Amino acid sequence: MFGFTSKQLSGVAIFLFAIFIGVPLLIGLTGRWDFYFTLTSVALLAIASAGVWLTFYIGRINIGQGAFALIGAYVSAILVVKVGWSFWISLPAAGLFAALVAVLIGLPILRLRGVYFAMITLVLTQVVTLTALALPITNGAKGISNIPLPSGVSIFGIPLLPDFAGMENTKLAFYYTACILMIITYATLYRLVNSRLGHLCRSMQQNEELASSIGVNISYIRIVIFAISSFFGGIGGAMFGSIAQSVYPSSFQVADSVNFMLNCFLGGLGFVFGPMLGTLVLYFGWDLLFEFGKYQMLIYSTVLILIIRFLPNGLLSIRFGKGGDK
Amino acid sequence: MEQILANGVYLGSQYAMIALGLTLIFALMNVLNFAHGQMYVIGGFVTYTFYGQWGVPFILALVMSCVTLAILGALIERFLFAPVIKGSAREESTMLLAAGIAFFLDAVILLFFGEKQRGVPKIVDGVFNYDFRLIMPYDRILICVLAILSIVAFIGLMQYTKTGRALRALAQDRTAAQLMGVNVDRYSMIGFALGAMLAGLVGGLLVTITGVNLGMGGPTSIKAFMMVMIGGAGVISGAIWGGIILGFMEAIGLALLYQYGDITYLLIFVSLMIFLAIRPQGLMGKPWG
Amino acid sequence: MQRRTLMKAALTAVSLIALQATSALAENPVLKIGFVGVTSGPAASWGISNQRSMETRAAWINETGGYEIGDTTYDIEIVSFDDQKDPKRAIAGMEKMAQEGIHYVVGPNVDDGAAAVRPVAESNGIMYFPYAFPKSLYEAPASNAVLGMVANYQSGPAIYKYLMEEKGVKTVAFIAANESDPLSQRDGGVAAATALGLEVVSDNVTYQVDTTDFTPVLTPVMRSRPDLLVLSGVSPANAPQLIRSARELGFQGVISTETAQDSGVLTEGAGDLANGFISVGGASTPELASPMMNEFVDRYTKMFGEYNDESNTKVYALEYILETLKADPTALTDVDAFQATMDTFEAPNPYMNGDATLRYVGMSSFGQKRQVAVPLVVNVYQDGKFETLFVAEVD
Repeated sequence: MFGFTSKQLSGVAIFLFAIFIGVPLLIGLTGRWDFYFTLTSVALLAIASAGVWLTFYIGRINIGQGAFALIGAYVSAILVVKVGWSFWISLPAAGLFAALVAVLIGLPILRLRGVYFAMITLVLTQVVTLTALALPITNGAKGISNIPLPSGVSIFGIPLLPDFAGMENTKLAFYYTACILMIITYATLYRLVNSRLGHLCRSMQQNEELASSIGVNISYIRIVIFAISSFFGGIGGAMFGSIAQSVYPSSFQVADSVNFMLNCFLGGLGFVFGPMLGTLVLYFGWDLLFEFGKYQMLIYSTVLILIIRFLPNGLLSIRFGKGGDK
Repeated sequence: MEQILANGVYLGSQYAMIALGLTLIFALMNVLNFAHGQMYVIGGFVTYTFYGQWGVPFILALVMSCVTLAILGALIERFLFAPVIKGSAREESTMLLAAGIAFFLDAVILLFFGEKQRGVPKIVDGVFNYDFRLIMPYDRILICVLAILSIVAFIGLMQYTKTGRALRALAQDRTAAQLMGVNVDRYSMIGFALGAMLAGLVGGLLVTITGVNLGMGGPTSIKAFMMVMIGGAGVISGAIWGGIILGFMEAIGLALLYQYGDITYLLIFVSLMIFLAIRPQGLMGKPWG
Repeated sequence: MQRRTLMKAALTAVSLIALQATSALAENPVLKIGFVGVTSGPAASWGISNQRSMETRAAWINETGGYEIGDTTYDIEIVSFDDQKDPKRAIAGMEKMAQEGIHYVVGPNVDDGAAAVRPVAESNGIMYFPYAFPKSLYEAPASNAVLGMVANYQSGPAIYKYLMEEKGVKTVAFIAANESDPLSQRDGGVAAATALGLEVVSDNVTYQVDTTDFTPVLTPVMRSRPDLLVLSGVSPANAPQLIRSARELGFQGVISTETAQDSGVLTEGAGDLANGFISVGGASTPELASPMMNEFVDRYTKMFGEYNDESNTKVYALEYILETLKADPTALTDVDAFQATMDTFEAPNPYMNGDATLRYVGMSSFGQKRQVAVPLVVNVYQDGKFETLFVAEVD
């Protein structure tokens, strides 16, 4: 089927079973309802991290994903609160707007490489935060709060999506939504990496001049990849705004941009599913260390240092020597 | 106008010193040291403890800051960065290590020195006031002079000593330096220690003016990154220019754009982005990065 | 004879059981109170002073046998969660509190966190006591947030009015960090000052949160020559440097802020230059502090090595929660009962001399009682410590 081996297919099946049935079952058994939000966060942050990973794939260190997540969150919030759109339409709109911004900004800055690109994207995060503070449409420092929950969608009276506000357990609904989005994201990512575009990206990662000389339109590919990457960021951010029902200029900031990048490093840059695992370990790990009180940060950072010291190519490098699949 | 110039020189000299250490480490090992700001904060706290708490003479406290950070830097390089660089497929992976170290140092600072803002007694009292057109407290003038002297000393070290020559060779071409008989491992460690020491020195100097608190680390790193980018990554003179330019940009921006309040920094950042987009390697950097 | 031994045995048995009962009594059931706030990173000092106040008070209660609510005596346990000043983490923290079965939480410390946790708190039946000022948090339809301190739009006018009458202040300048909380507080301050008839000569100068040198920032403000310089929402770390820079630039007027400060930090950072600096504090100045406040400060100092004056305003939230639960034990699990009790609740304020009371206020600001009545103590810094300037009430 689609050229997948049966081993890969069964892996995917197990994964899907685990997140859609296994996790809710486990949470129901143990009663740890708080894990729903943590895992929802992991799924959404993993979507944004997937974008960062994609820019790594063309050899760019992206520390600007927080900027696009914030743009996405604001676009969705403004469309829902001020224009009165349904959240479900505002979600792709947020992604598209983030992608549009990425194209405009990417045109000049994608010529930069290495640490220069990293730094300019870092500055970009601050620029977006400061812009959100200064603009009237974003409500400046006061942020946008009291955002309504996603409303239901129905076509010809058949409900496609339920109304979140009327729901008993929005946690579960948000969890499923985030997981579905995450799976779509990573399926897209996997497809992309194994397409012609993916091969071109790999050639660019190795040597841009060489790729260019054999007729690859590198500036076009760079823009496309950066736009897709930012689209993911925008989606993740918009979804978060909807869960928190509020957006502030500080909802996504430099620390978030850095974390998105670290997720990719930790999971492993050579693996499509690296950022997902990286996000899980980094974000969930912090929550698990909650018991240690004031030593939480110390233990967290020590573990982080040890991981990178002994697995410098990311967590996934333990089992899979090389290759891009799970 | 005089005030703007004076503020610019003062800000620029301290910024340049912060950027120097960062760029040195970057030039030698291609490591973007996210923990640079935390090292600066530790330097400040060491001087605070010796000078502010125990009453040790200021200069001695400053030396203690330098020594502590040099040792810390050497250990970090020897046991963390060197093995990770050897083992990783893409050298950017060191960013994760650097960030981990930054978190770790933050946690250590919190446990050892607490969450409060700390300050030390003024080293010199009094304010230089020229007809209200130029106002500069004497301790700032002194710190500014000390900073400039340290920068000159550092340049001297890099230019005229054996260590300096070895470090420069290493920065230019690692393989060639090795072939020429430079002990790469040893000088990497020395270079990293030197970079960390510079951070400690600035921290110790500035604690007399700005005080120190554990929150200063991260933002200081980011500011240092920007200076390094302006001047060109991995170039010593670039870092100095970057520091001075950012210092002047802030001094001028704050003086001229104050009535726009909230957007002063926005403009500074945007112009920085435009500048880098036009000149991707900074003022004097290598075209790679 | 035999009866005697029997009696003896019975007595021993009874006393043994009684002994066991007392030892069982010492093992009180535990009442968990939550804290969600920032205790690491740049803003750590806000949350840490908060968390430590709560831990000090809890340890104190437990040491003296526990806290009686209804017929049961409880040991108090503080469950704290570090949200790293990130609204996303704050939500996770609130979820964790719900998981632990906690219904009363102190925090978060900042605007965005307080707004972000609202859905979780309301759907899980958690009352929370943020240290954030946006009115939308406390006005209906919001129901579960209780402002844990005096808001700047309440303390600001009181301070400005006092200074207008006592010091003849006519013009005022505002300066704030370029961040949500301080900017909102600045806007509130400007509105209050204008309403009082003060002339606002400068209100648009801001500084980056990470600024270390305030001379260039303050130079244009000083040129407008205000009588009063207000540091809106200033963090304890920045206050001494701002004061120092302003004084070194030759500023002669009054400097004030509406946030709580620490005298030790001011002494180290600005020394005598900070004399005359006006800030909002709690009841720990010698004139006001009750014996209980003094003991609290002692215990805090013993537990953590050093007291933090910011804690003066942060000692109250936990006390309010416990006192209100005592007034209505059904509120232990029923937040609606708590909200109903809030309307009529009243108890003596143990931390302040005189006949001050603990009660809920906020009708005039929020239209419902969603604020703790903390005495509005305005302090002035003089030679290393705070002195009380005046005390006012919030309604």
